[in-house]
Amino acid sequence: MSILTFIKQDAVHLNTARVALFLTAILLVPVVFGIGYYLNMMIFIAILSLPAMGLSLLSGLSGQLAISHGAFFAIGAYASAILSTNIGINPVLSTLLAQMIVALVAAAIGAVVLRLRSHYLAIATLSFAIIVELVIKEWSGLTGGMQGMLNIPAMGALGREATSDIQYYYIYWPITALLLLFALNLSSSRIGRALRAIREGEPIVDSLGIQAAEYKIGIYIISSVFAGVGGALYAHFVGFVTPATGSIMFAIEIIMVLALGGFDRLWGALVGVVLITLLNEYALGFADYKKIILGVTLIAVMLVFPRGLLPGLIDLARSNKYGRTA
Amino acid sequence: MLRVSALEKRFGGLAALNDVSFSVAPGQIKSVIGPNGAGKTTLFNLIAGTLSPSAGDIHLDGVSIAGLPAAAIGAAGVARTFQQPRVFASLSILENAMLGGHRFHKGGFLACGLGLRHTRREEEKLRARAEKWLDFAGIQSIKHRNASELPLGQQRYVEIARAMATGAKLILMDEPAAGLDETETKELGEMVRAIRGTGTTVLIIDHHMDFIMSLADEVLVLNFGQWLAEGTPSQIQNSEIVIEAYLGSDDDA
Ligand SMILES: Nc1ncnc2c1ncn2[C@@H]1O[C@H](COP(=O)(O)OP(=O)(O)OP(=O)(O)O)[C@@H](O)[C@H]1O
Ligand SMILES: [Mg+2]
Repeated sequence: MSILTFIKQDAVHLNTARVALFLTAILLVPVVFGIGYYLNMMIFIAILSLPAMGLSLLSGLSGQLAISHGAFFAIGAYASAILSTNIGINPVLSTLLAQMIVALVAAAIGAVVLRLRSHYLAIATLSFAIIVELVIKEWSGLTGGMQGMLNIPAMGALGREATSDIQYYYIYWPITALLLLFALNLSSSRIGRALRAIREGEPIVDSLGIQAAEYKIGIYIISSVFAGVGGALYAHFVGFVTPATGSIMFAIEIIMVLALGGFDRLWGALVGVVLITLLNEYALGFADYKKIILGVTLIAVMLVFPRGLLPGLIDLARSNKYGRTA
Repeated sequence: MLRVSALEKRFGGLAALNDVSFSVAPGQIKSVIGPNGAGKTTLFNLIAGTLSPSAGDIHLDGVSIAGLPAAAIGAAGVARTFQQPRVFASLSILENAMLGGHRFHKGGFLACGLGLRHTRREEEKLRARAEKWLDFAGIQSIKHRNASELPLGQQRYVEIARAMATGAKLILMDEPAAGLDETETKELGEMVRAIRGTGTTVLIIDHHMDFIMSLADEVLVLNFGQWLAEGTPSQIQNSEIVIEAYLGSDDDA
């Protein structure tokens, strides 16, 4: 029995092997290419991958899109910022505590909103996102209002703090990789199976004695916590947060990421983040038109490839290779 | 084991089911027949909790289940197959059956995400349970195919494996023989007997008289939402009211 057949027996082993390979490659990048500006971009990719993977879990498993991932990114960022800056809790702990807040809010929203079907979920979570943005702007005593918060402590604990990009790179990428592994495992587990079934026919799932609502709320919480972790990592890396952190525009950008990488692929979410980061960095220097270009691209992609650009192109390549069947 | 008392369901002004009472003994194969629109599927939807009754009560082993959520009734031991087979089309046949046994096995969001060893052992047990019922339904050899690839006749067997994997004590089968040819109908009859052989009670709707008469221990006849007759197959076959009702309707001889 070769190592490969051993790995293939179990989805968890296969996921672990793939993510380990991926992480090894990522960790070797600075060794090969040295320390440079690209590290900064790579750190942002690690951070943005978290809300993207979170949303991908939700849309891939339950078939629902939420516009609240920007808001949970902001809640994660502000909560960890406030806990560490104002109360003096160390950033590792504040990042974790912030996730409890995110999870509680997501559970409350989920309990109310998840009785609604797909596009209603989008609209209801949009309202929630608007409220969060408003609260952040208006509750200036806590959040600093429009000015935001400055001098958020760097990531670290027990007197050891990250001080350079290369250190952040080696802290954040393993976190992202571990959460990717978590998401992949969840997706290939009984939970993922139940959610896919619920997506196809909630009444049938009910008839099997399975409480569909619990699963829908559960995946919404997990998915939101991914965004919350992203927010906290972001706050401690850049050192400041403003209402623009996790705005609705940002939520739409995450959906854009999935439109590029595919709505039901966790690895695709990573590819989507890379693509959008490159687009932002190089192709869209002319800032005024940026939003319009992103918006138009989003609509075009969704019309032509409803499952997302990457899966769409893969399908296209396959059908060309094997000839079209009528 | 199942007792239905004065059950009633109205859709607006229409009484789809009106004052229907009957009971099913444990280990029985009981059939529900009646012309189109007689309220047979509605009766199943009420028992399974897909609909809640307008009046009346339903007892499963002495406990009232009328109006409970469908998931609670499923967990109480009632499984079903649908008039139009409803399989999870994007999942494999094996996964369809595994969903039947889903609720018996542990593994929450965190345990599954972390890939804990015990959730993986549970997954193995769940797979074994599902495979047992795939074997029972005779579709073990095609378990890795997508359920959507199967012809309707075989989708019914996926539904049966899935329903049996829930460990149901009562299975509701809504016209499982519809669209089957003679040999297939015969095979299905064997399957229904095998289901009863496992100790599961069967309530089955069908239109094919020959099929029902050779299979059922007892037959309930509904007509326009009303209880019309009840008895052994031969009693029903010779009942004048039943013959009249069937001649009065334009099909289903
Ligand atoms: N959800 C619903 N809303 C409104 N009317 C309904 C609903 N479900 C069933 N009905 C009506 O109730 C009556 C009984 O329908 P039901 O499906 O129970 O009949 P059936 O005996 O299963 O018929 P068939 O043999 O055609 O399957 C019909 O007149 C039908 O139109
Ligand atoms: Mg019917």
